Amino acid sequence: MEKTQEIIKSTDLISDLRYQISNQIGAKSLLACIQCGVCSSSCTVSEYIDLQPHRVVACLLLGLKDKILNSNAIWYCSLCHRCTERCPKNVDYSFILALLRNMAVKEGHIPPEYEITINSLLEHGFTVPYAGMLKKSIDRNREKFNLPEIVTPNLEEIEFIVKETGLKKILEDAKKGKKKEVKT
Amino acid sequence: MDYAFFLGCMIPLRSPQLEAAARKDCEILGIGLKEMHGASCCPDPVAIQSLGIETWLTIGARNLCIAEKMGLNVMTICSGCFETLKTVHVMLKRDKRYFEMVNEILGKIGYEFRGTSKVYHLTEILSDEKMLEKIKDSVKVPLEGITLASHPGCHLIRPSKILEFDDPERPEVMDKILQTLGAEVKQYAEKVTCCGYCARLNEDIGDNLCEMKFNDLVKNQIDALITVCPACTTQYDLHGRKIARKSDKPMEIPVIHLPEIMALAFGINPKSENMDIMKRAIKPRKLLEKLKIEI
Repeated sequence: MEKTQEIIKSTDLISDLRYQISNQIGAKSLLACIQCGVCSSSCTVSEYIDLQPHRVVACLLLGLKDKILNSNAIWYCSLCHRCTERCPKNVDYSFILALLRNMAVKEGHIPPEYEITINSLLEHGFTVPYAGMLKKSIDRNREKFNLPEIVTPNLEEIEFIVKETGLKKILEDAKKGKKKEVKT
Repeated sequence: MDYAFFLGCMIPLRSPQLEAAARKDCEILGIGLKEMHGASCCPDPVAIQSLGIETWLTIGARNLCIAEKMGLNVMTICSGCFETLKTVHVMLKRDKRYFEMVNEILGKIGYEFRGTSKVYHLTEILSDEKMLEKIKDSVKVPLEGITLASHPGCHLIRPSKILEFDDPERPEVMDKILQTLGAEVKQYAEKVTCCGYCARLNEDIGDNLCEMKFNDLVKNQIDALITVCPACTTQYDLHGRKIARKSDKPMEIPVIHLPEIMALAFGINPKSENMDIMKRAIKPRKLLEKLKIEI
């Protein structure tokens, strides 16, 4: 296959992208990456992704945000944490990846599967729906095994947290039409 | 010893039979379980952490606050809940800025996260030397002549710098427990392979990972695959049936949650108010036959 050379203009680079991520929880280690590639050779989903983990980190260090957001690498990760486990420089790719997903979500790239999960959490306090007929059938099933009744969480508290941490607004904005495609 | 029992979502709402078996085991072993009233989803380490890490940390910390108020350490039988709650606990204690941010929000709804309750997976509690002795003394139906394979899964052992549990490359804790129940435990090449459940956005990943696993298990003539996570259990049970259906070789290997196989060895009726061993896609009929257990 013929390989075309990609030319990137320096003006397209986001120079502080690395700090936007490394400044957040668990991600300071990002700056220690030496591009050895152990993460990529340990990766469970390496054959499915179009940008290997060490390349994601390279893009992050260079400031190539769009290249990361347009890759399926951030969404196909199976969260097996082998990359983080084996990194000789203690780079926590697991946290970095979660933060990259957060960055994509803020820009409106929200996987519908995840939206279902957060909606269920807001509605029921659990990721499994627990109301109406479903609740009745679950309760009956639990009774069969003599299990204690489930005392559900105060949903106002859950909603308050989702709001205060800024996620509520991101989800609402996305609903208003700022939703973008998730590269899979 | 008493623990605040964190149930999560998948086990209490979808697979209560797993909860029943774990409760029975704990009763037999003298592990006290106290209910965490008002606890929510842990929350989900895949979807919720991916959407917003602050949201994930704060809801997780709220759950831990419930255990702190009870003055107890937390115990869970789900690896997803274990990963979330332990990571939240460890990371918030390491990061002062996030610790304060989380507490500022929690303070407004009457909680304070202090980090006084430690987080355990049941497997860790069972692996204590004294507990292994107790397990040995409680066995009524030794799993003799049975060959098992363990699947520790990812979120019980990695990343080890946070979860601090077992050897992340050559895990052995589950195997020790299974051996104590009298079973033979085989080491196999795909032991630490991920089940693929969390790679939800591409189905091929899970399909291929499960196929690799089952091919290896069949080659090793395994009677049952033992798991400690409801996600891995579901993933292998459903994929296992799919793989068995399209194969012309006998591929049916039942997938059993660790507390269930333990209850079986403790002589608990496998189809009773304490467990339902047949509630799965691949039924463990041959395993029960080998153990001469009738249901």
